[in-house]
Amino acid sequence: MRMPAASLPFPGLRVRLRAVHLAESLMLVFFAVVMGLPVLFLLWSSLNVAAPGKEAVYGLANWIRGFSDQGTLSALWMSFLLSVVRLIPAMILSVMVAWLIARTDMPGGNTLEFLCWFAYFIPDFPLVLAWILLLDPSFGFLNALAGALPFVEGPVFNPYSFWGIVWVHTSTNGIWFKVMLLTPVFRRLGASLEEAARVAGASNLVTLRRITLPVLAPMVLAVAALSLIRGLESFNTELLLGLPAGIYVYATRIYDYTRQEPPAFGEATALGSVFLLVLVVLSYFYWRYLRGKRFIVVTGQAYSTMRVKLGKWRYWALAGCLVYFAVMMILPLSFLLIGSFMRRYGFFDIASPFTVAHWRNLFMDAIFLSSLKNSLIIATATALAGIVLYSTVGYLVASRKSRGAELLDLFCWLPWVVPGILMSLGLLWLFLATPLRSVLYGSVWGIALAMTIKDSPVSTQAFKAAFLQLGPDLEEAARVTGASWGYTYRRILLPLVAPIAATVGLLNFGSALTSISTPVLLYSAQSRPLSILLMEYSFTGELERAAALGLLITLIISAMVLAGRRLGLKLTGS
Amino acid sequence: MKTENRKRKAEKSMRWTPALLFTFCLLLSAGGAAWAQSRDWEKEWNETLAGAKREGKVVVAGSPDPVMRNEIVPKFMSRFGIPVEFIAGRSSQIVARVATERSAGIYSIDIYLAGPDTTANTLYGDKLVDPLKPLLILPEVVDPAKWKTGKPWFIDPEERYVLRPFRSVANLLFINPDHVKPEEMRSSKDLLNPKWKGKISTEDPTTTGAGANLASRFLNQLGEEFVKRLYIDQKPVSTRERRQFTDWLARGTQPICLNCREDDVRPLQKEGFKILEIFELSDVAGAVNGSPWLLTLANKAPHPNAARLFANWMMSREGLEIYAKGYGSATLRTDVDESFLNPGNIPRPGANYFDDTDWKWVVKGRKETRSRVWKILKSR
Repeated sequence: MRMPAASLPFPGLRVRLRAVHLAESLMLVFFAVVMGLPVLFLLWSSLNVAAPGKEAVYGLANWIRGFSDQGTLSALWMSFLLSVVRLIPAMILSVMVAWLIARTDMPGGNTLEFLCWFAYFIPDFPLVLAWILLLDPSFGFLNALAGALPFVEGPVFNPYSFWGIVWVHTSTNGIWFKVMLLTPVFRRLGASLEEAARVAGASNLVTLRRITLPVLAPMVLAVAALSLIRGLESFNTELLLGLPAGIYVYATRIYDYTRQEPPAFGEATALGSVFLLVLVVLSYFYWRYLRGKRFIVVTGQAYSTMRVKLGKWRYWALAGCLVYFAVMMILPLSFLLIGSFMRRYGFFDIASPFTVAHWRNLFMDAIFLSSLKNSLIIATATALAGIVLYSTVGYLVASRKSRGAELLDLFCWLPWVVPGILMSLGLLWLFLATPLRSVLYGSVWGIALAMTIKDSPVSTQAFKAAFLQLGPDLEEAARVTGASWGYTYRRILLPLVAPIAATVGLLNFGSALTSISTPVLLYSAQSRPLSILLMEYSFTGELERAAALGLLITLIISAMVLAGRRLGLKLTGS
Repeated sequence: MKTENRKRKAEKSMRWTPALLFTFCLLLSAGGAAWAQSRDWEKEWNETLAGAKREGKVVVAGSPDPVMRNEIVPKFMSRFGIPVEFIAGRSSQIVARVATERSAGIYSIDIYLAGPDTTANTLYGDKLVDPLKPLLILPEVVDPAKWKTGKPWFIDPEERYVLRPFRSVANLLFINPDHVKPEEMRSSKDLLNPKWKGKISTEDPTTTGAGANLASRFLNQLGEEFVKRLYIDQKPVSTRERRQFTDWLARGTQPICLNCREDDVRPLQKEGFKILEIFELSDVAGAVNGSPWLLTLANKAPHPNAARLFANWMMSREGLEIYAKGYGSATLRTDVDESFLNPGNIPRPGANYFDDTDWKWVVKGRKETRSRVWKILKSR
């Protein structure tokens, strides 16, 4: 999209380019401060080998200790293995489901997309427990069912194993997140390329593989990279299922360092730096793949969103999706829902096992209402700030080919490569070091800013992919008719990326409601969000109340998803 | 003769007069001092209360705590009209937060309610706390007769900073008697019975926490060979999720639990699960601890009067009884109702217990022993 200054056909364009350059510089400074400084602070602190509270002494002892720890390398290998093994089938499935929802005439696509949103925000901890109830070798419901078959001896399923972890991951966060991000991009794809392929005699699958996927490569690759990083950082499921089987992952080791007494943040940062390395490698390959290629699918010319006709296969496709959703989502979700009404989660054989006490106690909790109010403020502010900030960043990263834009792109990945609690520590340090600390520290606005920063990888990549799909002729046509850049951005570009904006806003809204590691060092009694309450319930073993609260949060997000999708569709005029 | 007698009597009475006068004066001064002292503490208390009201709140930091959230906060508010802001988090999170705040010159916490490791090694060790002893003024708190230890028990070397109000007998382990008969678990050797291979659950002994603490105690009392056989040969099962331990225990998947928490087990027992706690084995002495917390006063507390008010009230019969009931922990107060406690949790007079919250053990002994445990277990 960037044009050489020498060939500028309009005098106004120079002013616009200066404005864009200024915006890029401002963004670069902003992100260098809010993302680069906390990471630098963490890296610098990791070199401090003095005992806590003592005068700083610098050295490499924390790094040596972190990496020389027995089991660190095997844990790293296990993390990569688990991430890759679950990433490949999950990506294939996600692309298929997103394609079916957005590009074909399969019935019920919108409902399936909504279900993905719903599933994504269900808290994973009680969901993993639900899978334990289903698959445990001693008391698992499905093992009991299988055991009733004449030819089955002993337990068939075992969640406490490598494949058990892969399976449960596929259920808790396997395809939902990917489908949520991919569907709007698939939807934006003009049908003309696919139609041309079909005219040339290509089948639907060949068209998907040879035309659709390569055109959507920026988003598909970004989602794969995001998923890989998230997979490496994941440890909740592994804590519950891996430890009983002696399976340790890399993130568990980092987690252990952060919860030591006193916490060993130096060692944790040292281990976390591996994620930084992975990021650099991924970014390099991503950049190399995209270099010199064009991914424009939305231009000012004829634009058709006609869907692929599947014929009789449309119902088979729907049936396949429904089976997947039923097994991976409805089954454990039912257990979670039932669990919130049980006197003790998963114990059906006690006297009068059901109760509404957990829901009643949740609503009666003295701090529930204030926490709910805080959460809604934080989530709304995060969603709006995310849309405004990252649509601009996404535009700059997609449209400019400068070093600054590349650096900006890299900065936006940082919050996900630093483990949550460490990023929270870095942000705490940053907030306290600024003159705005009275506004930011301990307030809902500080948490909202932290959440906005934390969500930058997914938000930036989503907007970037969306802007890469837009042809430059749209902007140029607007300019020729005398529209300012602001007007063009507001009236032409933003409506075209509205589905992605809605997706990003809702994703940020949801993660602001559910994130624990980011606000845990930043909240005060006045700004305590629901997620901290959830953490307290989980920490103190009040699992049933935690399940009720988790479901409530999911319901709030689902209501917002419905409203947001309507808004997104309205903006696009669909 | 009569005159002499009268004289003698007069001399005798004269001899007693100074003594009587002295006694009278003494009584008068003692009464006056007590009266004055009573007036003094009341005056100080009222000034503290007024100051606390001006400060508007007290900020307490500690582990997530339903008793604090559901009972202490509303009770303190209704008693004094001063809100308690409770900042909850893991010890490591609280410590990280406080250290970063302080490096920026911010002091937001008034009172810490933390476990022995954090209190001794970080809060006290890094000088984040102020002396608390001079601030205790409530007569029922400073009265020696109200404490089993003869006075409020400050366990730090200076006996001024770290107040320990609890001393409960800790469970050594729990068993599910449907799977493990009580007579099958009499001595430490019973834990090594091959029958229980894979049937014992424990917190991971190779990271800090209850698992490593118990392993350290075993190493200390039973030696390296026992630790190796229990934690390596018996293949105990670990998780980081405390709820999983009690679920395993109740279902009998792992019917022997080394690190189940009593407040997790109690609801199961209420539901009718036959779970037995074992406090000691024939060759492993019982242990006491200071759970759920030790109380310290943050230095440069932003609400000093409210902090003083809270600390005094927390150590009163009313404050401690709420916690004792909520956690089932035995307090060190003599006037707290203990009828609701499990008798096994109340230390027996004269019995010799291993004290898991002993200052030297927490600061030095456990750390060193834990390092030895890790060395042994990580080489497996």
